[in-house]
Amino acid sequence: MRNRIFALIAALVVVVGVGLVVPAAGQAPKTYNPPKTPWGDPDLQGVWNDATSTPLQRPGNVGVGVLNDEEAEEFQKSLAHDLTRDRRDGGNAADVNRAYNEHWMDARRLKITADKRTSLIVDPPDGRIPPLVQASPERQKVQAARAAGAARFAAGLPDHYTDMSWPVRCVVRTDVPPYLPTIYNNDFQIFQSPGYVTIAPEMIHSARIIPVDGRPHLNKGLKQWLGDTRGHWEGSTLVVETTNFRADEGVLFQGANSATFTITERFTRVAPDAINYEFTVADPSTWTKPWTALIPWNKVDPAEQMFEYACHEDNFDIVHFLTGARLREKNGETVGQQRPARAGEER
Amino acid sequence: MRTFRSLVAALSFLIVATPALPHHAFNAEFDANKPVKFKGVVTKMLWVNPHAWIYVDVKKPDGTVEEWMIETGTPNTLLRRGLTKESLPKGTEIVVDGYQSKDGSHRANGRDLTLPNGQTVFLGSSGTGAPYEKK
Amino acid sequence: MQRRRTVAFLAGAGALAVLSLALPPLFGQPRPNGAPQFAAGYRAPRIADGHPDLNGIWQAMVTANWDLQDHEAKAGPHNELVGAYGAQPAGQGIVEGGEIPYKPDALAKKNTRFENRLKVDVSSDKTWHDLGDPEMKCYMPGVPRATYMPFPFQIVQGTSPYILMAYEFTSATRIIRMDWKQQAPTDSWMGWSRGRWDGDTLVVDVTGQREETWFDRAGDYHSDALHVVERYTPVSPYHMVYEATIEDPNVFTRPWKISFPLYRRMEKNVQLLEFKCVPFTEELLFGKFIKQAAR
Repeated sequence: MRNRIFALIAALVVVVGVGLVVPAAGQAPKTYNPPKTPWGDPDLQGVWNDATSTPLQRPGNVGVGVLNDEEAEEFQKSLAHDLTRDRRDGGNAADVNRAYNEHWMDARRLKITADKRTSLIVDPPDGRIPPLVQASPERQKVQAARAAGAARFAAGLPDHYTDMSWPVRCVVRTDVPPYLPTIYNNDFQIFQSPGYVTIAPEMIHSARIIPVDGRPHLNKGLKQWLGDTRGHWEGSTLVVETTNFRADEGVLFQGANSATFTITERFTRVAPDAINYEFTVADPSTWTKPWTALIPWNKVDPAEQMFEYACHEDNFDIVHFLTGARLREKNGETVGQQRPARAGEER
Repeated sequence: MRTFRSLVAALSFLIVATPALPHHAFNAEFDANKPVKFKGVVTKMLWVNPHAWIYVDVKKPDGTVEEWMIETGTPNTLLRRGLTKESLPKGTEIVVDGYQSKDGSHRANGRDLTLPNGQTVFLGSSGTGAPYEKK
Repeated sequence: MQRRRTVAFLAGAGALAVLSLALPPLFGQPRPNGAPQFAAGYRAPRIADGHPDLNGIWQAMVTANWDLQDHEAKAGPHNELVGAYGAQPAGQGIVEGGEIPYKPDALAKKNTRFENRLKVDVSSDKTWHDLGDPEMKCYMPGVPRATYMPFPFQIVQGTSPYILMAYEFTSATRIIRMDWKQQAPTDSWMGWSRGRWDGDTLVVDVTGQREETWFDRAGDYHSDALHVVERYTPVSPYHMVYEATIEDPNVFTRPWKISFPLYRRMEKNVQLLEFKCVPFTEELLFGKFIKQAAR
């Protein structure tokens, strides 16, 4: 009986899911023909923002892929309540982790996507990342070491700057594909020139200069943090393939294995002020099957512009974390036993 | 049969699976047991990433002055709203509501920043488009 | 006999004259003062909006990143460990007039920077930037230094109001906004760039630069009042002339100018690669704060 109900729900989800594969479901006209650059490429230029509250994965007990208007309003309200940094409830421990109030955050990240989906993932149809593959013993060791460092850092007791993540160390941030919305600076500027499409994410100030003239990738031996990207046009869609990722642990999403990770991204302008950004990632070492997400990008220029995001230059916190850890160690704190400050104590 | 409303209510207990920026664990750096709230005079603001910093002088009851460094978010959010480095002038009195650094130094995160009249600092304007126009 | 030789000579000269007319215009006449030897009147190919097309990957060949002024070859840091690696090459200065016109007290500050160029101390936020060449720390180099770093950069130019310049060094970028009104809302490491066309020259006005950048490894520096006006002029399919006028009344007695050619990178399928140098600097900057037992 249970299986039949599950099958019914699954079928329903598939039926709904199929309708989602069409970009900007129900929103934009069926086929929007974007303007072209003078050299004939579809025009994707502008400053775009991808902030949203729609989660990457469908929440566990939500069975539908697309909501009606009333449900969508409640979904958005509920997510906004969870995510807002203006809340002060839940006790000091919860409050301190909210860090700052909403004035520092991208307000658009409290809004669900216009197409009212319940997840950014569109495939698999259940809207969730496929199950993880058990890592090889070798990889498990590497992952465990990394997790130990992360635990030390989370406890405020990093041994070494390598206990901190690559974003905290200001090496890479949201510029590693796939692009995922975050709490702020969700902005990208697209530039086009003959033979290239260039995507500049705000964090961290890099430019992804993508040849669209059919030239080959770099040779396999040349690895890069952001990989090596080539694009080509399929109708109005820019199809982008990236290879040559470095093998550093913890750069790729969910710790995917650069040796077996593949990613294809698609950019389609579906309205004057909207691009559909869709990516498919696969890694047989990490996920049991490939998965795909669709994230709308909204045009925000000329009213909003990109600003420089220097990071390493003024990253004072690296020193704060390390010197703070040394001090607390001196006072006997360990990762397992953190000592709360005593009243009146001078350190 | 559960209504969607009750499903949504259950959301608040679920981890929203959108990967947030791997931000540092604030409760690891700032002490939940040491909330602070004080008035101070801004001496300077560093409009830098990854965190802007506001330096405030806090006058203690005995007349001495303590310098505090307040850690805040990314200034780019404010710049996009039309604010500039002139938007928090030196000499402005602000109220800092946050948590003190776990190493006991005069550092705190600016959980909430207000003017003495209760108005939120950095309310700012929404983008008007005017400053961004071409000639 | 003499007449035949004269005729032959004249014929030869005439042939030479005819030949020099037939040569492509970019082989112009040499000019005095070592100025770039390009023929006047080169007209770059146009991009669709009629402006010269500056797209491409460009790189400077001068050694100005070591020292904007004349410099001899010198041993590099820790040559007792690495010999000729990292040694400074000799170079002819790119400063018009030869010398940077420092105010007297400012010159002393340049020398102090030079003496401290290899030191770092980030133990206190307030003195974080006081010591060390920012290039060594992998900080974005600012303008004009980014132009003459020994790394390529790419100009991405379409027909929109934005031109992107992407530098291989630490993947620095800056957006040049054409005919833009807004002024720098705050300071940034690569500055606030507003561009316009002056005939075939791209003119870029750069303000709002962080005072912590240096012009070179020799300690040449500026204040937050720095104002740079750049000129990029294509002079052949393979060269641009770069000029920059530098103004900072806090540091210099008058504006001064640098210039040098930029060369188009011609390798097949050449592209900007990554020089993400932050991990190369972490031990230098943060090594003294790690847990000693972990070493």
